[in-house]
This record gives sequence, C-alpha cells and structure tokens, in this order.
Amino acid sequence: MAQISSAQDLGSGAASAAAGPRLRALLQRHGREIVLPLVVAFMILLFSLISDVFFSVPNFRNIGVAAAALACVSFGQTFAIITAGLDLSVGATVALVSILSAFAMRNYGISAGVVAALLTGCAVGLANGLVIAKLKVFPFIATLATMSIISGLALRLSSGVPVTGVPNAFADLAYEVILGIPVPVIIALCVLVVAALILRYTRVGRHIYAIGGNEEAARLSGIAIDRVKLTAYVLSGFCAAVGSIILTARVASGQPSLGTSLPLESVSAVVLGGVSLFGGRGSVIGVAFGVLFVSILSNGLNLLNVSSYTQMMVIGAALIVAVALDQALTRRGK
Amino acid sequence: MVAARGIGKDYPAVRALSDVSLDLRRGEVHALVGENGAGKSTLIRILSGDVAPDQGTLAINGTDVAFASPSDARRQGIVAIFQELMIVPDLGVAENVLLGAEPGLGGVLYSRRQAERTAAAIFERLGIGKGIDPTQPAGRLSTAQKQIVEIARALVLRAPVIIMDEATAALSEREASGLLRIIRQLRSEGVSILFVSHRLDEVRGIADRITVLRGGRHIATLDASSVADTGELISLMVGRSISELFPPRNRDIGDIVLSVRGLRRRGAFDDIDFDVRAGEVLGFAGLVGAGRTEAMRAVFGAEPPDSGRISKRGEVLSISAPRDAIAAGIAYLPEDRKDDGLVLSMSGTENVALASMDRYGPPGLVAWREVRRATRAVASRLQFRGQLQSPARDASGGNQQKLVIGKWVLSGADVLIFDEPTRGIDIGSKAEVYRLIHELAAGGAAIVLVSSELPELMNVCHRIIVMSNGRIRDELTEAEFSEQRILAAAFAGHMATTGAAETARWA
Repeated sequence: MAQISSAQDLGSGAASAAAGPRLRALLQRHGREIVLPLVVAFMILLFSLISDVFFSVPNFRNIGVAAAALACVSFGQTFAIITAGLDLSVGATVALVSILSAFAMRNYGISAGVVAALLTGCAVGLANGLVIAKLKVFPFIATLATMSIISGLALRLSSGVPVTGVPNAFADLAYEVILGIPVPVIIALCVLVVAALILRYTRVGRHIYAIGGNEEAARLSGIAIDRVKLTAYVLSGFCAAVGSIILTARVASGQPSLGTSLPLESVSAVVLGGVSLFGGRGSVIGVAFGVLFVSILSNGLNLLNVSSYTQMMVIGAALIVAVALDQALTRRGK
Repeated sequence: MVAARGIGKDYPAVRALSDVSLDLRRGEVHALVGENGAGKSTLIRILSGDVAPDQGTLAINGTDVAFASPSDARRQGIVAIFQELMIVPDLGVAENVLLGAEPGLGGVLYSRRQAERTAAAIFERLGIGKGIDPTQPAGRLSTAQKQIVEIARALVLRAPVIIMDEATAALSEREASGLLRIIRQLRSEGVSILFVSHRLDEVRGIADRITVLRGGRHIATLDASSVADTGELISLMVGRSISELFPPRNRDIGDIVLSVRGLRRRGAFDDIDFDVRAGEVLGFAGLVGAGRTEAMRAVFGAEPPDSGRISKRGEVLSISAPRDAIAAGIAYLPEDRKDDGLVLSMSGTENVALASMDRYGPPGLVAWREVRRATRAVASRLQFRGQLQSPARDASGGNQQKLVIGKWVLSGADVLIFDEPTRGIDIGSKAEVYRLIHELAAGGAAIVLVSSELPELMNVCHRIIVMSNGRIRDELTEAEFSEQRILAAAFAGHMATTGAAETARWA
C-alpha cells in the first residue's frame, strides 16, 4: 500500500515538475496580464449567479456607459504612470473641462464646446508637464497642487453652481446607441485603440516606456526626457477631457464637482490593469480590464444593494491588494 | 565551519545549481570562481539565507541549519557583503557600522559616542587607523571605504563567516590590495571567508582553497598552492582553454578623430587634453574617483563641462546634452550597465534601437519590422546569445554588455567611449568584448577605454593616459607600458593632498 502510494506520488511529482516551472515562468512574465481577465470573468460569472438582472444586454449597456468616462481618464493616466509619474489632477481637469465646454456649448454650439474641452485638457496637461519636467517637481506633489488650482478655478468660474444650457442634442449623445453599442463606449474604444497605437507604434510611445524603465539610460541614449514627459501629461489631460465630454453629456450640464472620485478610480484601474507604479511596464489593454473590474464591481454591488460608501471601501481594498500583488511579483521577478 | 551538501536550486526554466557541495574551514579564505551563470550568486544567496535551496542541506559546525532570511543567517554567524553595498548614505560611518546593533541603554537610547568609539576601535583592529573618520556621513566614503564599513559591521556581529561577492570588482588595484590585506588579517583571527571574484590572479594570491563552478555544477575544489597558473583555472571555468584572452591589436591607425582641449569642471577635472585616432584604442588609467568617468561623461554631454573644446575631425562641436554627442557620432558606454546603460524592462531589440529609432520608418513612428531586422543584424555581428525579444533584465552580464555595445554600433558612432566595459562579466565575455573593441577599431572607430584593470589596459590599448585627482599625470605609448609607472602616476595627485596619504596607508 505504502509502496503504491509512493509510486503514485513520484508519478504526479514528475508531471507537476514538468508543468510547474513552465507555468511559473509564464506567470512570472505575464502574471499581471493573465490574472485580471480571469478575475473579471469570474466576477461576471459570480454576479450572474447571484443577480438575475446582471447578465442582460441593458445592464451591460449600463456598465459600458458608466465605465466609458473612467476608461478614457484611465487610459490617459496610463501614459503618466508608465513614465513612473502620476496624474492626480485628472478629476479636477474633468470638472474644469466640464464647466468650460458647457459655457462654450451654450454660447457657440456643440463643436465649439468639444474643441474647448479638448484644448482645455491639453492646456492642463501642458501645465502639469511643464511643472514636472522643467521645474523638476515630483509628479505626486505637482499634480496634487495643480489639482487644487484647477479645482479652485472650476469652482470660481462656475461660482460653485452647475452651468446649464447644454444643447439637448449633445446630452442625448450619452444615450445614443450605434449598432447596439452606446456612443460613450464607442468613444472609449476609440481612445483605447489610439492610446494602444501611440504606446506601441510611435517613438514617443516607446520613449515613454524607456523613461519609466530607466530615465538615466534613456537620457544617455539621446532621448529628450522633458519633451517626452510633457507629451505624456498632455495625453493624460487630453484623455481626461474626452472623459469629461462623456460625463458632461450624461449630466447635461457643466458640473464643478464632476470627477472627484476619478483620481483614485483611475489610479486603481491602471494599477489593477498591471501597469507598474514604478514605471516602464504595462499596457492599455490591461488597463481596460482594470476599468472593467472597477465598473463591474460597482455595478454588481449596486444590484446587490450595497451602498456606494461600502463600494468605496471595497475599491480601496482592491487597490491595496493589487499593489501588494505587484510588489510580490516584482520582487520574485528580480 | 560551514558545510553545504548536495545543494540544488531550480528557477523557472533554468536549473541554477545541481548537487553542489562546498565546505568552509575555520580561518580559511575559500575562493569561489566560475563564469557568469555558473551558479556562484545562487550559491552565496543560499548560504546567506536570501533564497532557500530546493535540494541539499546546510550545516554549521556539524548541525543542520535552515535560514529563514538573511537576518537569520546573520544571527547564526554568516554575513554576506554584496556588490551593492548596504550603506545608508545619510547616516554617519559609526551608525552604519553598528546598524541594527546600536549601543545604548536598554536598546532604546542610542549612544553616539559609544558607537563612534566602537567603530574607531574596529578600524584600528583592521589596521586602517584614522583612515576613516567614524563621524563623517557614510555617503562621502569611497567604494573601498564603504566596503571596509561593511566588513566592520560583520565584525561587530562577531560573525565567524564572511561572504564577499566581487568585493574588489569596483576597486582600483591599490585599493584592492588594501582590502586583501584586511582579509588576511581576518583570516589570522580565525574568520572564514568565502571570496567570490573574477580577478583570478587575485584569487590565487589570497585563497587557501578554490572551488570552481560551471553550469551550476561543482567542477573542482583545489588547494590554491597546487594551481600552476591562471590558465588552469580559466580552462576549468570555461571547460576549454582560452589561449588568447586578448586578441592582437589593430595596426591600422588613421587620422585624429576626436580631439579634446582644456576640458574642465570645477572639483572634478581640469586641463584635460587628448586626441584619439581612427583605429586607435586609448586607455584611461587611474583610481576610482580620479575624474576619468566625469571627464568622459562631459565629452558625451551627460554633465557638460565648465569649459573646454571638443572637436571631431577638425570641426568644433557644441555639446550640451547626450543628444548632441550622439548626433556627432560619439557614444558612451557607462560604467554601470544596469543603472545607466539599459532599460532592463524593455526588450533587447528596443534597447539596441533606443538611440537610432529615428532612422527607421516615417518620422515619429516605429517601423518595427525594420527595427527588428537591423537589431538582429547587429546582434548576430556581436554574437549576442540571449533572446532579443525578452527583457534585457533576463540577459547575462556579458550579453547585456553586448546590447549596450549594439546600441552604439547601430547608431553608427565612430567614437566609442567604454567605461569599465568588463566589470562583473566572465572571462569568456571579456574576451569577446576585447574582440569587439578591436573589431570596431579595425573598422575605423576611435576608442577610449576607461578601466581599473591594468592587465586589460596594457593588453588592449595602443596608448594609456593616467589620471589622478582630476588631472592627466602621465601618458604612455605601447612600448612604455609598465605597471609601476602607471601606479605611480595614478597616485601622484593623491599624495599631494592631506588625508589622502592616510587613504594610501591602508590601501
């Protein structure tokens, strides 16, 4: 009996020894990319079993519309974080863009509003980039400070009250559906594709990775560090502006309090999505799953009547787990 | 003292060690040698408690032990000193020496005076006397002095076993011989030392016994006295005999390519004049901190000089950033590959292409197919043996060095400044780096080689400039090469200043 079991142990041991290292190597290299989609799939399965409304086209549209703005902002945040930076001002940017674009739209029409939105986003990003690259202020402090400045500006311009008079045609966009897909989702998917292409197929995209991976080596390879950082923050501001357009359409007004939870949520989505806070690694595809994780979690918890306060606690905890996991993987990968 | 039996360790996709045994006797210096990837680092990480072995046992004084962590190993008397020194630069020397074992009342209060006395006593015992001031911030110490601080720390713990990983790699010959003297002193006090080094002459000089690893296996343990010459060790390490570590020099020297005049930066270097010709390898000798690296980084624009003129083929260049130097065809291969040369998280391909992306495809975009084709061509020319598509982190030291060289070959640079290109890489890779240097020179490139290894300079260069304390002290042509003359010049500037004399006393 003992002999038989030991022989069996040997057999299974040999099999796992063959599969073990390969699986471990795979996990070590791609762990960040593989784990999250599995978690998201598991979450979908779980909520489908618990709630009978969850697994339905209308609810998926809800999730999509709710996720779209966060997705745009997070894709922008990705650029900043891959340079080993951070953009905490995204929420305030969304608010300022919302106010200014609502003003512009009320007075000059929808396209003027959209142009104003995108220009504002780029301008904020440029300011962030200049403070970080030229004045050498750490991104954390720099964007924490600009967050306060931008937020103050938004409240001042709007006197703290919503800017009304946004054209109905614009507000309707948030609920328009093309080929069964809500317009905000289509916008977010466009931002995703463009961001992925920039990171993969443009020089500035690769330089963003190089700077995040090793700034000194990048500098000694002749890369213009300042210009690349500037670009990363402008892209972040631009994406935040796109996110703001979606949110502004949804609330049909310019809101000075829009996006206050976005700094936390976008950083969570980016880090959950496998982008290293130390810079140099990660992809927007991963971030898209991070966004799905945050949005599906909050949708599912809503359906289960979990209060939004409790949801805040859950997201905070998820962020800690994700960073701890990242640290563990980094340490082992060393 | 310490016995390791049948140690095995698997990493994902690679077997780092299999069935390796090693025993360390009381009061012996035991050298561990092998090429990169031979398993030396894994073995010492196991011995120092950093990783746990998959097979085999460790025993101290005949009792089996298992270490939970490096601090566990320290408590049991094994202290490892790694190349990356564990020094807190902002704390004082004495505090660093006593880090984690601070003297004072009841383990709560800290007595600075007592700490400084203890540190001074240990330095005295090591024969350094007042060479290191226990009250100064540790960040101001030289690499050699920092190592002394780490050794002192081991002595505070009364560790009977000290593991030293490439302790002399970052030191000039003079500093290294000072360290070796201290090691002999420790041995006479009964401390056992496991000494890992790439410098084989040094190993033969200091070790009582030598263990050779190759490909994760134990090849031999020899009495140092029975080893006839370095060649014997080399052939054991590489499994074949390397008749020629240094290939013949390129004999086709052309016109002056790079010309530097009056280069100066306050507090770093002054009055630096030199020319390099096409096909020539110009060496820079000197102690660590002599200003060689600083001067070369100034030529490259990494830290621009206060004044001076740099010209290439007669044309004066204005270099204020590395970009300008790269555009002029000047390349710099930094001393520290991992910190300054490579983006470890990026693929080999991208590291090689990093300085030349502009040359492929439409402006602003990355033409991956062309980039891959070009980098593959460079990699095969350099005989890069890693995976180009995997992160540079995964490549061995020698292959990483080839990625850095490849970056500049691809960029088309014809002035290449190598700063300590063979530090920390194995002999096989060294020979290849020398071959590449000569190949580049034969192709018409002008080469500057900054090195702390005299044999390397004397066997690779056509001409050697010796710097000391920020100035050029001597220049030797191939016929004049002599170890004494170089060392004398290397110390010339240091003897003049006070305090440095004491550094020299222990060195």
